[in-house]
Amino acid sequence: MANSIGALDALSAYGRARGVADGMTGKIGPSSIGDAPASTDFGDLVTGAVGQVGDALAKAENASLAQVAGKGDLIDVATAIGAAETALDTMVAVRDRVVNAYNDIMRLQI
Amino acid sequence: MNLETSIQVSASGLRAQSLRMRVIAENLANADSVAGSPGGQPYRRRIPSFRAEMDKTTGAREVSVTEIRSDKSAFPRVYQPGNPAADAKGYVLMPNVNSLTEAADMKAAQRGYEANLHAIEAARTLKMRTIDLLK
Repeated sequence: MANSIGALDALSAYGRARGVADGMTGKIGPSSIGDAPASTDFGDLVTGAVGQVGDALAKAENASLAQVAGKGDLIDVATAIGAAETALDTMVAVRDRVVNAYNDIMRLQI
Repeated sequence: MNLETSIQVSASGLRAQSLRMRVIAENLANADSVAGSPGGQPYRRRIPSFRAEMDKTTGAREVSVTEIRSDKSAFPRVYQPGNPAADAKGYVLMPNVNSLTEAADMKAAQRGYEANLHAIEAARTLKMRTIDLLK
């Protein structure tokens, strides 16, 4: 009984997380778990999130390089690195959450 | 995300205050810069002026430096007949920079910079704690 409630939670959490991650990557996917996953699957979701974090990290790196070369602004470096850090943290947290939900579904007793 | 925008706004404040600090440094460094030729004009004190400016992409009001104006107040005259910049009567025009005023301005710039740093710190803490909700 407890297990099945956990699985239901996992299912809705997975659906929500997918909606959030789709919003993050700017894609419009199915809003609930019941819809047919035509345009997005888990791989797309992770790829999109990782790509976005990669962009943020690249921006931070460019700002640091410009600063080291004496052409950049220290304030730009600090804000870019902060933005990249939060993007990475968000991506990792969402991924952990989704992988947990996925594992819960895998353990579902039929 | 609004917290990201608030960090951007605070960063514009940091930029504005650091430019103000630069202008104060210029004023202090040139506090004794007299004219190169007899009867010429010495260094004139400069003041930055700030203005609120709408950022088109975020809709937030950031601060920007519109211009760096010159202080119109009169130059003090000092009797220094040996100075190459002295006029026929032996008087030299000194820059209208008052070190005490500059020191007070410097403290204000410092406090303004610190206030913006604190705002960035607070926004970042809130953001991190929101992410912690996911964990």
